[in-house]
Amino acid sequence: MSIKYQNLQGNHACALGAIAAGCRFFAGYPITPSSEIAERMSLELPKHEGVFIQMEDEIASMGAILGASMGGVKAMTATSGPGFSLKQENIGYAAGAEIPCVIANVMRGGPSTGMPTRPAQSDLMQARWGSHGGHPLIVITPGSVREIFDETVRAFQLSEKIRTPVIVLYDEVLGHLVETLPLSGAAHKITERKWADESPETFMPYAETTDLIPPMPRPGDGYRTHTTGLTHAEDGFPTQNPETVVKAMKRMLDKFELHQSEIESYETVCCEDAEVLVMTVGISARAAKHAVKTARQEGIKAGLFRPITLWPFPEKAFKKIISKVKTVVVPEMNTGQLSLEMERLCPKKTKIKSINRIDGEAIAPKEILSLLQSVAKK
Amino acid sequence: MTKIQERPTNVLVVGVGGQGVILVSKVLAQLCLSKGLQVKQSEIHGMAKRGGTVFSHIRFGPQVWSPTIPAGEVDVLVALEWAEGLRWLEYLNPDCGTFISDTQHIVPPFACRNRQRGSEDTYARETPAEIIKKVPNGFALDAAGMAQELGNERTSNTILLGILSTTLDFEIKDWEETLDLFVPPKTVELNRQAFHIGRQWIENAIRTSEVAPVSELYEQKFFPEEKGLVEWEFIPEWCKGCDICVKMCPERCLKLTPDQKVEILDINDCTGCRICEWLCPDFAINIRKPVFIS
Amino acid sequence: MSNNLSKEFNIRDYLREDLMPHFLCPGCGHGIALRALLQAVHELEISKDQLAIVSGIGCSGRVGAYIDANTFHVTHGRPLAFATGLALARPDLEVVVITGDGDSLAIGGNHLIHACRRNLKMTCMMLNNEVYGMTGGQASPTTSQTRYTTTSPKGSIEPVFDACKLAEAAGAGFVGREVTLQMPSLKNLLKKCLQYDGFSFLEVISDCTEIFGRKNQLGTSPEMILNQKSSMRPDSYGNIVDEPFRPNFMKTGVLALNERPEYSATYRQHVARQLKSKEKK
Repeated sequence: MSIKYQNLQGNHACALGAIAAGCRFFAGYPITPSSEIAERMSLELPKHEGVFIQMEDEIASMGAILGASMGGVKAMTATSGPGFSLKQENIGYAAGAEIPCVIANVMRGGPSTGMPTRPAQSDLMQARWGSHGGHPLIVITPGSVREIFDETVRAFQLSEKIRTPVIVLYDEVLGHLVETLPLSGAAHKITERKWADESPETFMPYAETTDLIPPMPRPGDGYRTHTTGLTHAEDGFPTQNPETVVKAMKRMLDKFELHQSEIESYETVCCEDAEVLVMTVGISARAAKHAVKTARQEGIKAGLFRPITLWPFPEKAFKKIISKVKTVVVPEMNTGQLSLEMERLCPKKTKIKSINRIDGEAIAPKEILSLLQSVAKK
Repeated sequence: MTKIQERPTNVLVVGVGGQGVILVSKVLAQLCLSKGLQVKQSEIHGMAKRGGTVFSHIRFGPQVWSPTIPAGEVDVLVALEWAEGLRWLEYLNPDCGTFISDTQHIVPPFACRNRQRGSEDTYARETPAEIIKKVPNGFALDAAGMAQELGNERTSNTILLGILSTTLDFEIKDWEETLDLFVPPKTVELNRQAFHIGRQWIENAIRTSEVAPVSELYEQKFFPEEKGLVEWEFIPEWCKGCDICVKMCPERCLKLTPDQKVEILDINDCTGCRICEWLCPDFAINIRKPVFIS
Repeated sequence: MSNNLSKEFNIRDYLREDLMPHFLCPGCGHGIALRALLQAVHELEISKDQLAIVSGIGCSGRVGAYIDANTFHVTHGRPLAFATGLALARPDLEVVVITGDGDSLAIGGNHLIHACRRNLKMTCMMLNNEVYGMTGGQASPTTSQTRYTTTSPKGSIEPVFDACKLAEAAGAGFVGREVTLQMPSLKNLLKKCLQYDGFSFLEVISDCTEIFGRKNQLGTSPEMILNQKSSMRPDSYGNIVDEPFRPNFMKTGVLALNERPEYSATYRQHVARQLKSKEKK
């Protein structure tokens, strides 16, 4: 069968990826530059017997997808900066009550209303730490339209399997980028949530199973459990007993550790002998890739490390590479968020150079290349 | 049949707010008026909330003076609710009065809360059969149930109107036409049906026996055979001593102990009205074998 | 659970007994409202497995946890948003939202009006106790003027919300109000709400005896619940009393009934039509 190519926009790829992953519920609220995801979903979902609803606000759309997910349907929402801020409350709820859901955040310039039609990468830390009260979650940062499709599918797989909110984070450039890619016949594994199948009498909705992921009770199956945002014990009911709280929280955090190999995803380019390493995500990584390749042609020992799963950060893989690296270059479209993470992870002797743009323009390969060149000269 | 005579005919319609007492009396009054009779209709309503008491005196004849009926001179007493009917029984003419009552039981939950301890029980424990033996002519029926079967529980008053029509000397056609004037246009047909159901019922009742049959439901659920049948189940651990049940009990048979838990003084005083159970915010009280049905 | 009408109602069948006694203060009206809900559920023979309770934050939000059903205790003000998702994704479930005056009129006001507008089948039971009880008695959107609360120490000066008028104006299919004192009528109203095919909103006038009552010297629990009688006015049977003469009386009963298409069914029909026209092409 010949492969059919099509021109696809990043936001549409996100919507199609969700459909391919089995998403059957979308609730959203119009916001630039992510509205195309909602628009495409409103077309696609009815074809797949799914439900699309435009809610009254960002908070409600986040609430609605959690309601649908608790009802047993794969659900997602999409938003951008200001809307993402509003969603944080319920993202925290999803993390605490361990409800699978996918949130796409197409980053735009900020703070506040900022530059709605201009790209930025300034929500990298908010995506990880946006909701109050330390909570675990997964953040995926795709770097191309094709990857938006694939990573949205993977976001659903991780979300359903690990019972956690997963944020698909990319910037306005990728969101509105149209690329030619083959999609036909792409078969994707649809991950089915682990449903409770034991006796309702003894069932504990947050029991500590061997894989640390408790099976989820589906309403109507006879389990009649309680779901709450309050810190809860294994039976799902609120507790403030210090021992129980620690045990419950520890299981929730440990499940990410246990499944790290599945969660982890990154790309390396010429990292084997790299002396200067570029570390960045999303659209900046595309520019970086070009810069690294050009630098290699010029004889500079440059490499690229691009986390695809940004949070939890692929620390082990990064630490293996970083031992030989003298300088890390961090291009990012914010005032320096990833460079903070580099400061944490790099040995003291490693120099960290940042390229920051906050003017609503993407970082060009040229800028990265010239920095690589100047680093190599020294 | 009570012949229209020189002396005014006295009809008393009683019930609780919302049942349609006023409609029954309006129909009768209008009918009498159209026949050229003098009519006086006096009623108490307006103060009545849903569940409160409503009554209507209708006196008609060639000449009527007093607006209300003296005790013992009611020719036909129509009760839309059983307890209301019993309350007005002393007004019934002991020699030739006719008592028509729905066996429906609507307990006004808070109407009787100020009764003194030890006073008589609110609800008579006689069965309808016993009551009907005591009156010159008596008919008790489950009009509410019949109305429900018909499809609209609100037509129970029209069923009773149908029965009332058999005791007075007017033509069926006149009754029907007057009834049409007062019911909502959409329910004209339904009310006519209800009217005839009432008439049919009484014809059968007269043919078969002196005393109308009483539904089994009524016998079983409305009255305990004797006091003490009510089981008052209490969960002390759940009780927080808010005092609501103690103050609300119409029989005053509950008490708060020094450790702020409720106890029942004498289970024999309990009528099983369920007010304590309903208003317990802590679900500490459970009543078994109730005597109330709404 | 089917065929439970033949069984006499016992509230213990519907409670998570190991959590009892509940955490509500002595005399709190929320307990009575909960009984009314459970009795309505019993009389309509709704299976506990199919019953989904979504509640928010506050005293009202905690009430749901005592029900032996699928219970979801979500974020402050958002139960209607969660319930919208749940009811749309799972039309087979009987979704009941338990919310409070602060939860649904203040922080969740937007969700309330839009839930009314959308008319998706669910029942919203708002327990109105005029105060934020859980946080210690602050003024809420329904705190009457001149009432004392911890954030209105000299008496509240803000006007109050009439939640039922709001819901009606926003287009709710079924709007009702009842006081906890009238538990049987409350139960009957809840039955109507549960049977209504669309969004039904029921305001339950409940008492906060320990915090609001004490601060405003409204008397003991029995006194407070009895006082509900003097401020209510049943409206189900039409104009028993002319309103102009009793302007301060709160109407109770069924206050509005707008027959409008139910959202979930409309959505599914709409989708089916779309698919059909596509096939023809």
